[in-house]
Amino acid sequence: MRGRTVTGIVAAAGAIGLALSGCGSSTPPSAGPSAPVVDPASAKGASGSLSICGGRDSVGLYKGAVDAFMKANPGISAKYTVLGATTDESRTQAIQRLQAKSSECDMYLTDVTWTPEFASQGWLQDMTKVTDAVKDTLIPSTVATTQYKGKSWATPFYTNAGLIYYAKDKVAKPETWQQLYAEAAKSPDNGLVYQGKQYEGLTVNFLELLYSAGGNVIDDQGNIKIDSPETRKVLDFMAQGIKNGSADRAVLTYEENASRLAYESGKFGYERNWPNVYGQLNATPLKGTFGVAPLPSFDGNSNGSGVLGGWNLAISAYASNPAAAVAFVNFESTPEWQKHVAMDYSQAPAGEAAYSDPGVLDKMPFAKELLISVKGAKPRPVSPVYSQISAAINKNVYAVLSGTSNTEDAVKNMADQIKTAQASF
Amino acid sequence: MTVRSLVTERHGNTRDRAERRLAGFMTAPSLILMALVAAVPIGYAIWLSLNQYSLLQVGLSRFVGLGNYVDALAGPDWWRAFGQTFLFAGTSVALEMVLGTGMAMLLNLTFRGRALLRTVVLVPYAIITVVSAITWQTMFDPTTGFVPQILAALHLPGAGVVWLGEQGYAMAVIVMADVWKTTPFAALIILAGLQSISQETYEAAELDGASRWKTFAHVTLPLLRPAIVLAAIFRTLDALRIFDLPFVLTHGANGTQSMSMLAYTQLNENRLVGQGSALSILTFITVMVVSAVYIRFGGGNIRDIAREDRS
Repeated sequence: MRGRTVTGIVAAAGAIGLALSGCGSSTPPSAGPSAPVVDPASAKGASGSLSICGGRDSVGLYKGAVDAFMKANPGISAKYTVLGATTDESRTQAIQRLQAKSSECDMYLTDVTWTPEFASQGWLQDMTKVTDAVKDTLIPSTVATTQYKGKSWATPFYTNAGLIYYAKDKVAKPETWQQLYAEAAKSPDNGLVYQGKQYEGLTVNFLELLYSAGGNVIDDQGNIKIDSPETRKVLDFMAQGIKNGSADRAVLTYEENASRLAYESGKFGYERNWPNVYGQLNATPLKGTFGVAPLPSFDGNSNGSGVLGGWNLAISAYASNPAAAVAFVNFESTPEWQKHVAMDYSQAPAGEAAYSDPGVLDKMPFAKELLISVKGAKPRPVSPVYSQISAAINKNVYAVLSGTSNTEDAVKNMADQIKTAQASF
Repeated sequence: MTVRSLVTERHGNTRDRAERRLAGFMTAPSLILMALVAAVPIGYAIWLSLNQYSLLQVGLSRFVGLGNYVDALAGPDWWRAFGQTFLFAGTSVALEMVLGTGMAMLLNLTFRGRALLRTVVLVPYAIITVVSAITWQTMFDPTTGFVPQILAALHLPGAGVVWLGEQGYAMAVIVMADVWKTTPFAALIILAGLQSISQETYEAAELDGASRWKTFAHVTLPLLRPAIVLAAIFRTLDALRIFDLPFVLTHGANGTQSMSMLAYTQLNENRLVGQGSALSILTFITVMVVSAVYIRFGGGNIRDIAREDRS
């Protein structure tokens, strides 16, 4: 009796432990059909309902786009479904639906790094013809993020690239990272804040310097390029920056929002962040005191080169209404709607013409700098195992920045861990 | 007469057999439900953990036996997470028990507004952990948080420290956040134990001339032990599965990677279904072993005391 009670309690406690530790919630991937090809002509006469799924609609852009689309296409009833509050959560939710071959979502809003990943799994439809029809008006770097194995699996919705916000009264507009760090070290009030917490954001912040220095993670053939003098130079540079106070040690705990709030305290000279911060800074007493610059170059050798962010629209392989999805792509990629992306929602348009539009320049005076950043930006490593590669980068960079590892070990570990990730079966 | 002797006496009796069949029918729905919500997912997770699923070619999987477990146990990540989780659980549960006992003693005193206060102390426990984690993060922010500013103003140690960016300090914040949130829970369980101690015991102690401290150490504490052990079981099992606090506060950096976070990262972020499931099963086994130990060594007392009470 006693033994049984104990076993029962243990089993029950264990079951709760297991249920809460997240087990059994994932399904193994199952085979998808070979990718269907989307026909651009199908958009004509599209009707019925369209379901678009993606992340949290923080600035109202997604709902705004859906509403404007329905006004222009009265025959289609479209709705936007939020899959999760964070990017990670949305990705997990999208993957669960795709693995279950759910037709709940005709179209997914995919982070630029997921597009190749989803395509490699057979979850997306081949949109090459649709994208080709509209790509002349779009910035080439944004179109590049939709490519996987020579085909286009999505169409850009809007884009994103890092910018430097700087206090005009204290520091000069940065031309090179070296100049920025030197100026930042001159006074405790001149410091730089960026996203240095151990997460995806640190990968991006590191790659911005690495790309500017001419380094790379993997090349187009998937060969590992991280074990290079450039990587060592950038790691030493960033670690030294934290040691000598160019960048406050607090960046080791900062994500986007915390670094914005820190800069808003007025105690810093530079902030690396995304374009949407412009509007938020303008709503503080700092309005008028700060300038916006494209990402600086490293050493002045070449142009500054950032990391391309942003979101693409991809049609699910299990979509019930792909024709309406094509109609939506045709709508959102017009130069007219791309202007609204900037004017009404302060996001970086994928359409190039928007950046010189007077209406946009009025709302987004830094459009010229933003275009330089977007055009110079390179995609993150294209790989079906990107998230493991990113973890390999941000964990080891973090270890160097926080002083628990040295550059040489970190470079070795990064290369080893990326190799292991690529060897994934 | 115990239940067991009743059953033995009636064994073989036809009426008894019918009754037992009836009992079987009546418990069947809950047993089936238990099997569905507990046994099936566990079995499925075990199956997943014995396979490897391809990331590069959809639908491809292969049976690897205990390969995922061997990988996990041979690498440094699991053991690091294991150690860090136990460090967290040990420290936070110990603090929660001490503070919870103190809080329960206070709440047991007679004073105006006692009922209200007993409800109010539960507020931290009612707050969603992610929300409280973000609050703690804001409090400890080196630029905008008030904790570093107060420490600096009072010239206390830790003033210039980036708490969440430093080994040791980051763990301290996580322990504090957990203690703040769950001490009231422990206090309520201990309070219930406190109220079940009969007043006569205290009167007897008083007659014997025991001091307040002696009464606490030799009367209250031993009689409270079952309640404290119960609170400690609940809290330890929870603490060993810690996820939200490190996820929000450090994302596992600076020596705060927990077993559950590691499993989550492999399962959800890296889509390594087999690896992640194996890590979840290892977490499950760890929790199971710890609860068995508790029930064996702490729970024996619960039964002894209950028996003494009855006789």
